Formats: sequence, C-alpha cells, structure tokens
Amino acid sequence: MSGNGTAARVGIGGPVGSGKTALIEALLPLLTSAGIETAVITNDLVTREDADRLIRQNLLGEGRVVAVEAGACPHTVIREDPTLNMAAADALEDRFPDLDLILLESGGDNLASTFSLDLVDWWIFVIDVAGGDDIPRKRGPGTIQSDLLVINKSTLAPHVGVDLDRMLTEAEATRQGQPVIVTDCRSGQGVREVAGCLSQAVLFRSL
Amino acid sequence: MVDRIVAWRDDPDTASRLHRLDHDGGLEILIVAETDLGRRRFQATTENGRPVQVALPRSQRLADGAVLHLDAQLALVVRVGAPDWLDLEPLDSAAALELGYAAGNLHWRVKFSDGRVQVALDSGDAESYLARLAPLDGRFRVVS
Repeated sequence: MSGNGTAARVGIGGPVGSGKTALIEALLPLLTSAGIETAVITNDLVTREDADRLIRQNLLGEGRVVAVEAGACPHTVIREDPTLNMAAADALEDRFPDLDLILLESGGDNLASTFSLDLVDWWIFVIDVAGGDDIPRKRGPGTIQSDLLVINKSTLAPHVGVDLDRMLTEAEATRQGQPVIVTDCRSGQGVREVAGCLSQAVLFRSL
Repeated sequence: MVDRIVAWRDDPDTASRLHRLDHDGGLEILIVAETDLGRRRFQATTENGRPVQVALPRSQRLADGAVLHLDAQLALVVRVGAPDWLDLEPLDSAAALELGYAAGNLHWRVKFSDGRVQVALDSGDAESYLARLAPLDGRFRVVS
C-alpha cells in the first residue's frame, strides 16, 4: 500500500497488565505480512519500557517505535490533552510518508479510560480474564465506548475461576452490537480476527 | 473513497449546485453522529444506501454541511445526527451539586439550561444512565 500522509491512527487502551503490548507484538507480524506499513507510539508513565520491549524484538524498522512519557495521568494524554501523542504521530508521518497505520498504545489505566477522536480514528480496549469476569458488568466507558473490545488471556480462564462464555455474553450485552473478540495473544488465538477487524474499519480492506 | 472536504453546503455557489442536484435526485445525505465527527477514517452509508469510505486529512474536520463529493451527477453531503439528551432537573441546590459532580466523575457530556442538567446519551439508553444516578433517586426529576 502506498501512504498518502493520512495514515490511520488506532488506539489500544486498557488496564495495566491486560496485554496491550502483547497484542501489538502479535499484530505486527500479521500487518507486516499483509503489506501494511505500520509504526507504534507507546505511552508509559515516566519510562519507555513498552517501546524498548517492542524495539528489542525488532518487529518494525528503525525509528518506527517511539515512546511518549505520559506523566502521572495516562488518560490525560489520550483524551483531555492528546497533543503530545498527536505531535508524535505527525512526526512519524513526516519521517515515514508511506505509513498506512499508526498504533497508539495507552499507558495502563482503569476502565474509565477512553481515546479522543482528535487523536485516533478507531480504538481498541483490552481487558483480560485474570482481571475478573465482572469487568464487563461494571460498564466502564472503556469497555462500552471502544470500537472493539478484546478479552485477552482466554486460556487462563479455568485457572482463575472465570466463566469465559458468560463474560463474553455479558460484554456483548453492554456494547449494543459493537464487536468483542476473545484472544490469547501469547498463542495467537483471535489475533488475526483483531487484525482483520482493524484493517476493515480504517484501512477499508480485508486482511 | 472520499479523501477531503471539497466544499460546504452554505457556500452560495455550492448551495445552488446542490439545489439543482437535489431536483435531479443526485443529492445524497451521509448522517454522521455528533460523537463521530472527530473521526478522519470511517465507513458509512448514505440515506440512499450508498457505502462511503471516508479518509480525511488531519487538517480537516467534519461538520454539518461538509460536502465530500460534488460533480455533475452526484453530491455527498454530511448531516450531523442530533444526539439524544437526558434532561434532568435537580430538586434543590445540594442535589444540583451532587448531580453535577456525578456527571463529571462519569465523564458524561453535559450542558446546562434553565437550572437543568442535560446529559448526552452517547453510549447507551436513558435507563443505563439513570442507573448510575441511583444514589440520587428522588432528588431530581427526569424532564425528558
């Protein structure tokens, strides 16, 4: 695909440890093999831990992973004042004009975390079964308003006493038809479905 | 795919062209929810059933009356879908304070009018919003 300076921007948010970075790690090979030119912006509080993790794995070319240090309040830089992330995305597009897609990973936050549509075109919220099967019932803005809800670490469900089928049913009931995908990012389960959903929504092509 | 806003409905020249196209059946309306106006890339369907892929530059922002395509046969014009509002009237000053606090704490989009709090129903029906206000039951009135 050739870029036109309007790379799609997709947010990935969710609680600490739910698997946001793991989802990106699993998505990148699929996107690359589909010819989708991608870059990533990570948000951490006061470090660049997630960016360094992605860089170490060499999943993208040099300079295509950048870190934004969000400070004390991770949702501020993706919602109330997303200018740091907008500037980082603009800089990536200037440096790599062929980009098709920029993934913006939020710092770990709570269920109230949402993305400004001034920053992203579409956004994913990642929760995991180990966080408890009551999360969808809590109706957090992140689980309700996101364009795609991902329930990760599905294989842990029996080990943490979670009824995954019920969790999925309750999640779907709160989202008024918006999609929910169950994944296990470590094994790759469900990740291609996430990539396809993302690609169809903002790149207008099937994967 | 449309990749830019080419004109605005209220521009005099554009308005006359749209008027002619409307008579000829070439004017199609794309309804965009108010909450989706910030999106630069999305897919939608006109009222006539035509699928449209929108990919705007970051420098452009959709608003009511944006013309996304205009030629001799066809115009695509954005109309912003009006949001539904839940209109709440607190019964006293203390309830007003707590209602305002609750709305802010829940990150609801609100506006104020004639002593009422109006909550935009951006992500659910009125019942789901009222359920969050259960601790304030009996201290405000639902106007509409």
